[in-house]
Amino acid sequence: MPFQRHRMPVGGLIDRSRKIRFAFDGVNYAGYAGDTLASALLANGVKLTGRSFKYHRPRGIMSAGSEEPNALVELRTGAYREANTKATTIEIFEGLKASSQNRWPSLAFDVMAINSLLSPVFVAGFYYKTFMWPAALWEKLYEPLIRRAAGLGRASAQSDPDTYEKATAFCDVLVIGGGPAGLSAALQAGRSGARVLLADENATLGGRAIDDGADIDGLPAAQWVSSAITELASLKNVRVFKRTTVFGAYDGGTFGAVERVSDHLAKAPTGQPRQRLWHVVAKQSIVAAGATERPIVFANNDRPGVMLAGAVRTYINRYGVRPGQRAVVFANNDYAASTVASLNKAGVDVVALVDSRETPSEGVRAILNARGTRLISSAVISSVSGKLRVKGVTVRTADGRTETLACDLVAMSGGWTPNIQLTTHLGGKPVWLDAIGSFVPGKLPPGMSAAGAASGAMGLRDALESGLASGSAAARAAGFTPAASVVPRVENDSSAFAPLWRVDGGRGKAFVDMQNDVAVGDIELANREGFRSVEHLKRYTTLGMATDQGRTANVNALAIMAGLTGKPIPETGMTMARPPYTPVAIGAFAGHHRGKAFKATRRPPSYAWSKEQGAVFVETGLWLRPGFFPRAGETDWLQTVTREVNTVRNAVGVCDVSTLGKIDVQGRDAAAFLDKLYMNGMKSLAIGRARYGCMLREDGMLMDDGTVARLGENHYVVTTTTANAVKVSQHMELCQQWLWPELDVQMISATEQWAQYAVAGPKSRGLLQRVADPAFDISDAAFPYMQSGVISVLGGIKARLFRLSFSGERAYEIAVPARFGDALIRRLMEAGKDLGVCAYGTEALGVMRIEKGHISGPELNGTTTPHDVGLSGMVSTKKDFIGRVLGGRPGLIDPDRPALVGLRPVDRTERLRSGAHFLGRHASATAGNDEGHMTSVAYSPSLGHWIGLGLLKRGPQRTGEIVRAYDPVRSGDTLVEVVAPCFIDTAGERLRG
Amino acid sequence: MADQALAAQSAFSELKPVQSAALSIEVRDGLTIASIAAGKGKAADVRAVMQKAFGIDLPDRPLRVEGGGISVIWHGPDQWLAIAPRGAGDRDLESELAALLDGIAAVTDQSDGRAVVRLSGSCVRDVLAKGVPVDLHASAFASNGVAITHASHIGIVLWQIDETPTFEIALFRSFADSFAHWLAHASVEFTAG
Repeated sequence: MPFQRHRMPVGGLIDRSRKIRFAFDGVNYAGYAGDTLASALLANGVKLTGRSFKYHRPRGIMSAGSEEPNALVELRTGAYREANTKATTIEIFEGLKASSQNRWPSLAFDVMAINSLLSPVFVAGFYYKTFMWPAALWEKLYEPLIRRAAGLGRASAQSDPDTYEKATAFCDVLVIGGGPAGLSAALQAGRSGARVLLADENATLGGRAIDDGADIDGLPAAQWVSSAITELASLKNVRVFKRTTVFGAYDGGTFGAVERVSDHLAKAPTGQPRQRLWHVVAKQSIVAAGATERPIVFANNDRPGVMLAGAVRTYINRYGVRPGQRAVVFANNDYAASTVASLNKAGVDVVALVDSRETPSEGVRAILNARGTRLISSAVISSVSGKLRVKGVTVRTADGRTETLACDLVAMSGGWTPNIQLTTHLGGKPVWLDAIGSFVPGKLPPGMSAAGAASGAMGLRDALESGLASGSAAARAAGFTPAASVVPRVENDSSAFAPLWRVDGGRGKAFVDMQNDVAVGDIELANREGFRSVEHLKRYTTLGMATDQGRTANVNALAIMAGLTGKPIPETGMTMARPPYTPVAIGAFAGHHRGKAFKATRRPPSYAWSKEQGAVFVETGLWLRPGFFPRAGETDWLQTVTREVNTVRNAVGVCDVSTLGKIDVQGRDAAAFLDKLYMNGMKSLAIGRARYGCMLREDGMLMDDGTVARLGENHYVVTTTTANAVKVSQHMELCQQWLWPELDVQMISATEQWAQYAVAGPKSRGLLQRVADPAFDISDAAFPYMQSGVISVLGGIKARLFRLSFSGERAYEIAVPARFGDALIRRLMEAGKDLGVCAYGTEALGVMRIEKGHISGPELNGTTTPHDVGLSGMVSTKKDFIGRVLGGRPGLIDPDRPALVGLRPVDRTERLRSGAHFLGRHASATAGNDEGHMTSVAYSPSLGHWIGLGLLKRGPQRTGEIVRAYDPVRSGDTLVEVVAPCFIDTAGERLRG
Repeated sequence: MADQALAAQSAFSELKPVQSAALSIEVRDGLTIASIAAGKGKAADVRAVMQKAFGIDLPDRPLRVEGGGISVIWHGPDQWLAIAPRGAGDRDLESELAALLDGIAAVTDQSDGRAVVRLSGSCVRDVLAKGVPVDLHASAFASNGVAITHASHIGIVLWQIDETPTFEIALFRSFADSFAHWLAHASVEFTAG
């Protein structure tokens, strides 16, 4: 293949001294530094780049930017493979590998192109219509067929090996777009001292000032751009983000932007991510996002070689590439002048300008006359010949005569559509402007303005002027004083335009939305079938729903529908966009938060020691708690848990309970405050004592349980369950600030301050005496059940001791400052060796609480009342408290409600399953016969069989009855006997010692 | 005195210290920290006592003040965190302040509940921007400013010490390793190579 035979000898921003080698579909090519994949392919004469979504039509490069609907490729290989990337936005790098999509076996010969012949099946609404055909065929036939036939690139299906990060940036003025308007705005605001953030999606700034090859201040625009960049770089208060797309506008002056940090490199540099997602917070914002050129809708307007005229100028002026040898320009506007001028400059033979208007303006005619270029006015291209590339066009004049012209390039322009997407993300409705045949921004969100082509200021001079004005206004609004602006000397190119929305009568499909293969016939069908509103049109035809959101298609579609219904365009609908402006990799949104870093992890004080012991951890909210501690020779978790339970019941065990919430409550009204929060009385709690308590929600349901210990006259420490620690804190803050602000009470979380261990078992006191300082008497007389106090351990370390029991054994909780937590667990294990001490985890904890009939998460499930779980005796009748009134509603005190019972299998060898539903012994398994469910089960090492807790209709009155525990999910159907929820030591003798 | 055999453990088991002009990261172990919450109607009394004892005016906005051997961080309306090195004398601000403020404020030990890390250097703001959604630019954040916010979804209290700039961040102890993991990720571009 000849080397870059379509490259111009001079011109453009590419660096001809730096050759870059790359491969497309396995063929090696070379381009220059500064090329996109599209410009490098065009330089090498490659026009065919992909197959279309539904019909597998051959497609080439249509545009030169992020609006590209056709030239989508798979980039890179293996796990790095990325589908649907636009050849027009990919900067080439050494060794880049890209391949075409949606073709088999090869791009030039694609079997699925037969879809073109089947096109009656794939017309608008085909997807919905298949639903109306025999349903049995849907899953087996239609869906697999459609999914295989229609589609774009393939995901790698592997874990994304790239890294991403997220960051926040603040500025006074955010300028979106670095073309002539954006550069002017950034300069003007930056000179005032405002903090300016300029973001441009391209690798180089300048936008259409460079693409169109204009002059500014008598010099090539590239020189003006270059001095603007230099000045911006000299301003410390200005940050310029290249390769950064602002993809969404959100509430409060915030924006989402994605910076492609390393996409233009073969490999991300050390320490750099592939992409960075920016959350931009801006006092003022200027949308200078330019405009997107519209194709003209004519037969075979999708053939490789049919390009947007502006893109043709870009390839010539920015990349020094000739996109063809013989060009026909087809336009309905005066930008044709600069297109012809650029083609002339590049040495491309301009066969003719086909202008749909009767008379193009003076400027256009002057350029044509200078070269003797033919003008065919009041004419259209009615169709294109050639399949894999353009071979010629048929031109039809107003009087119906046709003529065929040979060419390999069609440069078309249907006018320009301002890029107003960001101005509509928050619901701002755009306004139709006849002069340009498009929508311009209407009411803008607070702090936002639009400049340049995005605002409808289409000429270069207009763009520079509006940029300067917007920059000044934004700086002023942000509290700065901008200097007077000087508009550079520049000619305003004519933007005269006359609508041409479609060309009828050609042979072949005339495409409106190329990426989703929506042709003009589909819009006609939608109209015939009644899907006329713009929202119906979109969903019925899928127009505008591709990865490009129909940027080149929407206005044409709207205008065509308006023509069909005879309504004006603004009445037909509006093109409102949603974020993101261009697709954003999910990885960028995840940033650092992936894999194990998806959520933060909280480690309890004994974490390092537990890990050394080989503990198996369980996640409890964000906490990682030891579930159990397997020892050598133990073959399954049940064996381990049984050993841990037996150790606690017969000797002594230690469990890290630091994760339980601890809230320090102080103040003269602390007692009154707690009395209102808990359903049971707290006022009578004596200093040095602790009490079990339950809080209800306002609706009378149980919210959380825990203990309250009184450390001093006005000082309490409240514990919560691990899962509800934050919720209870919030609840208490709310109550204090909003319900009873008159109370003198202060509270703060002390959860993390203390490493707290449950020391449980008949030998627990013996163990504690080995660490407690001798000054503290912890004999049963001095420290009975439910006692609490401040002590010191191991020679003066301040500690708190509580005599509480969840296991039903004699038990204590010992708390030391968290930094000593690691040392204390090691010391307890060492000191308790001869007592047979072991560590136990949440599994053994759970088994022992079920043996004792204590409620926990499965019973505190948000739908249970104190009565349901057997705690009605605790509910105070002497005071008011949260949940009292609504807890008295008839439905909540209905004696028929399921209430807490214990359950044991009639056949003691049978296993119980939580989640099983209760049925009368002889009742059939219907929802109507449902009498409640099993909430918790455990194998009880103490009893030698499975036991359960459950909520059974009138349960406590049914002791001794046998019911079915029915578990259809796991094919369980077990007869169980109803017993009291407490299975061992019902008199509570063990915990009192 | 505490039994020397019972060793204190840092909250950060996985944080790698960094030392350069662009970025330094240092764990601040050995601090005594106590929260102060004024009793109802007692804020003026608390201010007077603290002024007398340490010569400092307790801030009523998110600011940090320093004097008399302690620094105080605003921590909510009429609430503060008092911080000092524990030092050789094993200083304990909870007991010290509880005695001073008896009957007019709730004082609670937070020395172990909070893990503190110090970040300093010319790139610190760029590192923090990757997790802290607060404008820390000199024109927006006071050189003794305080923010109660989050770093990569982990709740933090952040305060500025000087214009180097130097910041300190306090977070709940159990999050220390997750925080360190994020910090390593956020700072790798300034520490790599």
